[in-house]
Amino acid sequence: MCVLFAKVASAQKDLLAFNEQNKYMYYQVVSQPGVITDTLKDRALYFLEKAYPKNTVKKGETSGNFTGTGKFLIVSGLAVAKHIEGEVNYTYYIECKDQKYRYWLTDFVFTPYKVDRYGNSVPQVGIDIPLESATTKLDKKQVDSYLDQIGTYSKAFGDKLRYYILKPAALPKETKKKVISTKDW
Amino acid sequence: MQDVANQLKHHFLKQPYNFLTYNYLFNMKKKFLLLLLAASTYSIASKAQDTVKTTADAPLVLYGSVDTYYKDDFSGHGNIPTSFASDNNSVSIGMIDLGLKKTVGNASFVGELSFGPRNDQSVPTSGYHIQNLYVNYAFSPKFSATAGYMSTFIGYEVISPTGNFNYSTSYLFTNGPFQNAGLKFTYAFSDKVSLMAGIFNDEWNVYTSQHDVSTFGAQLTITPVKNWTAYLNVATGPSSGTEFDLTTAYQITSAFKLGLNAATYSTTHYSAGFSGVALYPQLAVSKVVTLGLREEYFKSDNGTAASTYVPVGPLPGGSVLASTLTANIKTGPLTLIPEVRLDGINKQQYSSFTNSSGDPTKSASQFVLAVVYGF
Repeated sequence: MCVLFAKVASAQKDLLAFNEQNKYMYYQVVSQPGVITDTLKDRALYFLEKAYPKNTVKKGETSGNFTGTGKFLIVSGLAVAKHIEGEVNYTYYIECKDQKYRYWLTDFVFTPYKVDRYGNSVPQVGIDIPLESATTKLDKKQVDSYLDQIGTYSKAFGDKLRYYILKPAALPKETKKKVISTKDW
Repeated sequence: MQDVANQLKHHFLKQPYNFLTYNYLFNMKKKFLLLLLAASTYSIASKAQDTVKTTADAPLVLYGSVDTYYKDDFSGHGNIPTSFASDNNSVSIGMIDLGLKKTVGNASFVGELSFGPRNDQSVPTSGYHIQNLYVNYAFSPKFSATAGYMSTFIGYEVISPTGNFNYSTSYLFTNGPFQNAGLKFTYAFSDKVSLMAGIFNDEWNVYTSQHDVSTFGAQLTITPVKNWTAYLNVATGPSSGTEFDLTTAYQITSAFKLGLNAATYSTTHYSAGFSGVALYPQLAVSKVVTLGLREEYFKSDNGTAASTYVPVGPLPGGSVLASTLTANIKTGPLTLIPEVRLDGINKQQYSSFTNSSGDPTKSASQFVLAVVYGF
């Protein structure tokens, strides 16, 4: 089981690749037969608003494109001994076309956390480490663990997007108020 | 694992009278392994969830530190009177610090206990071990209230050894408050400006007020530019006196940080008090090693003949210049801290330092090697 878990964990890191700027990137193209650009765009926007409400959202230059930034926590340790190591800030892109869409997460920057005088875990201001050069400032073992968690997070981001795109039910419904007439009985 | 089980079995088989004990232990071991497996599975599952959740109640978190040190004052006996690292020519312990915290919705708590000499020198009442015990409620992302016993909002240095770069502490830290018990409200006007104001017990560092809750405290936090934060603090009350404090740190580059602490304190009566300033430049020279200097000037006020308040440090009227050169060598959660320190009083009449012969002297110096493990 341990071997299986180790393989699964390393697979998460392997989900990341390098782009033309030599930056880590999680990149996927998904075909969605029968769905037009406008529908994909609406569902993608709804996904961003509902699944990642804290992310910034900026509409791209061309219709059907979204970009923005988000962040998530990196942890180490198990159960009650879990320790917040830091946070990773990233940039995401979503582009929709007729019958397909693509998305990618990149610009991963790690900011370590420390425990402040009140016991709160807070970012160490001014320490921003791009993941591409992280091994110059952090242990390789640490960096590998962070990349695994970035891979896991990126995959979950994509899985959720796919869910929202696939399921029209995820779109806001017009809620009809149930009214009982007391006149006719 | 099987080898260990076989060895255990072999050992007990050689001693038949212990076979029942072996069976008991073997069954216990199996249960323990199953429990461990279940816990690991749960932890793996929860780890995967936590890394993908964007909004969730944080689990109960345990954090803290342990620290130990060796100090050698070059006079052969302890001289420098600032807090902690007090034992000379001895491998001594600091404290074990254990904190628990949890957030559910908008409510959170922190409870932090410590044990050891560093605890005993930092809490007011013998036998008590609480560093932080408070509850917090966030009415909105911008406005929150906190009540309980909290680390003080004043000053650059803290009690926890993981929160300081230098292992020995400054005169400003030693003479300032360590904790304040009270009720405070914090409002964030923007990402760059926030204000905390509160009412605290009449004395610093007490779990229970002596008479009333009459110390007013406030902290204005300003972020003038990215990576530079400044805290303007005041704590004032008829019993505790008044301290104005500026604490600021600027991470100028990813390798260089500059910190500053300046404060002035006056008692309510007799004009006694202190003032001082400390500069903290720190430079990361590799991914493992960071070098830092603390350069502090501290002055004890003259006071009056009737004054009973005497700060820790130079005698009233005197001043001290304290230079501390420290390295932080990090490997994972462990930090090795070698440090040399030289304190010089302006005039011998204000000094309580003595040299190796026991004669009065204006200066004192020491070497400290500390190890801190944070988790």
